[in-house]
Amino acid sequence: MSTEAIPAEKPKRNFNALFGLTLLGLLLLMWIVLAFATPSFATALNITNLLRQGSLIAILAVGQTFVIITGGIDLSVGAIVGFTTVIVALLINAGWPIWAAVFVTLLVGVAIGLFHGFGIVKMGLPPFIITLATMTSLRGIGLLMTNGNSISINSDPFQAFSRGSLAGIPYLFWMVILVAVPSYIFLHHTRWGRYLFSVGSNAEAARLSGVNVPRTIYMAYVLSGLLAAFVGVLLASRIGIGNPTQGDTYELQAIASSVIGGTSLFGAIGSVHGPLIGSFILSTINNGANLLNVNTFWQRVITGALIIVIVYFDGLRRRGK
Amino acid sequence: MTSTAQDLHPAPTLQPGRTILELNGLEKRYPGTHALKPVHLAFKAGEIHAIVGENGAGKSTLIKLLTGVMPRTSGEVIWEGKPAALATPYEAMALGINAVHQEVVLCRHLTVAANMFLGEEESRFGLLQQRAMVKEAQKIIDGLGFDLPAHVVLGDLTIGQQQLIAAARATVRGTKFLIFDEPTAYLTRKEADQLFKLIRRLKGEGVTIIYISHRMEEVFELADRVSVLRDGTLVGTRNIAETDEPELVKLMINRSIEQIYHKEHFTPGATIVETRNLSGKGFENVSVTVRAGEIIGLYGLIGAGRSEFVTTLYGRHKKSAGQIFWQGKEVQVNSEHDAIRLGMALAPESRRDQGLCLNLPVGMNLNLPIYKRISSNLLISGAKEKVEADRQIADLRIKTPTRNALASSLSGGNQQKIVIGKWLAHGAKLFIFDEPTVGVDVGTKAEIYRLFSTLLSKGAGIILISSYLPEVYELADTLHVFRRGKLVATHGFRTASHEDILGQALAEKQEKSGGQK
Repeated sequence: MSTEAIPAEKPKRNFNALFGLTLLGLLLLMWIVLAFATPSFATALNITNLLRQGSLIAILAVGQTFVIITGGIDLSVGAIVGFTTVIVALLINAGWPIWAAVFVTLLVGVAIGLFHGFGIVKMGLPPFIITLATMTSLRGIGLLMTNGNSISINSDPFQAFSRGSLAGIPYLFWMVILVAVPSYIFLHHTRWGRYLFSVGSNAEAARLSGVNVPRTIYMAYVLSGLLAAFVGVLLASRIGIGNPTQGDTYELQAIASSVIGGTSLFGAIGSVHGPLIGSFILSTINNGANLLNVNTFWQRVITGALIIVIVYFDGLRRRGK
Repeated sequence: MTSTAQDLHPAPTLQPGRTILELNGLEKRYPGTHALKPVHLAFKAGEIHAIVGENGAGKSTLIKLLTGVMPRTSGEVIWEGKPAALATPYEAMALGINAVHQEVVLCRHLTVAANMFLGEEESRFGLLQQRAMVKEAQKIIDGLGFDLPAHVVLGDLTIGQQQLIAAARATVRGTKFLIFDEPTAYLTRKEADQLFKLIRRLKGEGVTIIYISHRMEEVFELADRVSVLRDGTLVGTRNIAETDEPELVKLMINRSIEQIYHKEHFTPGATIVETRNLSGKGFENVSVTVRAGEIIGLYGLIGAGRSEFVTTLYGRHKKSAGQIFWQGKEVQVNSEHDAIRLGMALAPESRRDQGLCLNLPVGMNLNLPIYKRISSNLLISGAKEKVEADRQIADLRIKTPTRNALASSLSGGNQQKIVIGKWLAHGAKLFIFDEPTVGVDVGTKAEIYRLFSTLLSKGAGIILISSYLPEVYELADTLHVFRRGKLVATHGFRTASHEDILGQALAEKQEKSGGQK
């Protein structure tokens, strides 16, 4: 038996790497095809635009992945994004220094994450329910606070951030890297990352091993809330307003990115690089469809179909091992 | 610390060792049940202390209290002279109390090494020392003589191998007191021998071992002392040298051992099913005939192809060659649905995974195969559903408060009765039982065997797969021995010796077989 297990290991690992590559390969292939098919794709303007578009969902997808690895789901991230654009706008307009406004906004994200952890751990609610509830309520609270109006942000430096770039790469994309690198180390090279996997794989085993399961769950939702608030700040910077209805369907795009990137909705399987690539595949589909003048209604259909195809092949790969 | 204990008390069994853990009126009540009545018991450092008892006798409760999984209702636990609260698993582990559970409680998505160090990872500057941990884990595994790789994902190993990893893992955490709960239920003979070697070695190092098992020969092979629980009460503790199996069984169930293997002989009737040179994945060229009123035993090691043979017969897997005759006519069984329609019923090996809907009520589980019959057109007849469920609960003597209790709330033995019993009402002709008594106590075993007789008397035939030799030996009218996917020998009822059958199942020279028979 054990002799079977050892040779099985090597090809599987290669296969995993191959799959990571195939996703990346798929992304590159799409870029090459689009570069030849449309004159405007391979322009600096469009590429930076694409990176900006993809960045926000990419960051959300990383946070979402932490939660999904524990076997949960966070439906509230889109609503948190919209809500925090309002918070950061109000604070800046109230004359707070930008750093302080941003810091407090991030704390709001943390607080929402803690609330989710509380609902799951202490109240015993399913993650789907507690985050669904927040998703609806936060939009409502935001609308109450703003009376349904958008708040224009009176700060040029704050808005300039989203337009700036360093070494030819937009700041927004640098933010992805800023999030992704620590996230990667956290998930794959620290004990807390490992505990996320262990809780998603077998919470009872984790508990019996002395892993603090409630704390691990809190951590996952706090990270997701924090990153969603961060995206809220970036989005506010990009559009220059605070509006609670912003970030509509972001949660679904984040979940889709994560799943395209190989995360299992049953938990315990996932990475950081997968969801990142997944999110850029999604934004490339949108970007490319725009450039090719595909009817926006069709774009939705195509996106849906591609999600099925990609995840189906991922399932085949898993069963193949 | 442990070495001084050994120096002071070099003699093994009778010489009292230093007391490491003492239960002082330890008690557990649940609403409505008194799971553990006040227990007074002292465990000595470096002894192997077996605990036996039927399912529901309080063994699991005792383990849960000792490992901090559950709080006690009253009483004291004295650990090395000081009272211990044992409120969390973490506290128990910090003291050095650890457990290896019957079902592997590990993360199958993580690697073997990650599981071994789960909760106690080595890290430097916050970063995991993954390579160091794999190396360390491999060293431990090799040191124990297990031939297993540390870098593979746990889920890729067999259940038996995973169980060995669970055992290995429990030894590396400064463990002084280690509880094994039915550790051999899913192990092959060779794996069990490896485990016994590990247990003896731990004992030599001064670790106290609690060994819980339904298999009496293991208790006599390993233990220094044995305690018997019955209905939540500690009914006795014996030195192993001063007791024997009949006495223990009597303490456990108040019933004599001859009554357990209840074998009635029926005159075989017409042939129900016959396979001719059936081959498929994991087995080849198997020809077996089952007639009405007889039990056909399939014995062999886990992985010998017995389960693969029956699941192919049952239509789950495609056969690659050979024929299946059902009541004299050749048939194609392409799915489980075909098999059930012909009149086959399969009680699978892993009842939790394959045989039961744990979070559905008992009654619904029992009626699952016959909903077609108790429905009129589209709607289920509520009255018939109740009548059928209650009748089956009574027939099978399932211990459940009502038919509406969840299957998950029943004891293992009673769950097994559901898995087996639900096919009775269906009226199947051929029953296939794959390891029907794994993890089941003597009393429930006897009831399950009695069920077999009921089935046979109604003209059914039975294929019984078991890795537990006494079971197939005492029950099967015809005993087929499997080895590596082939049917290697066939015996009549009690016509061969245990040694011969074991030899045929193993074939290769077996380095000093651990159990004496």
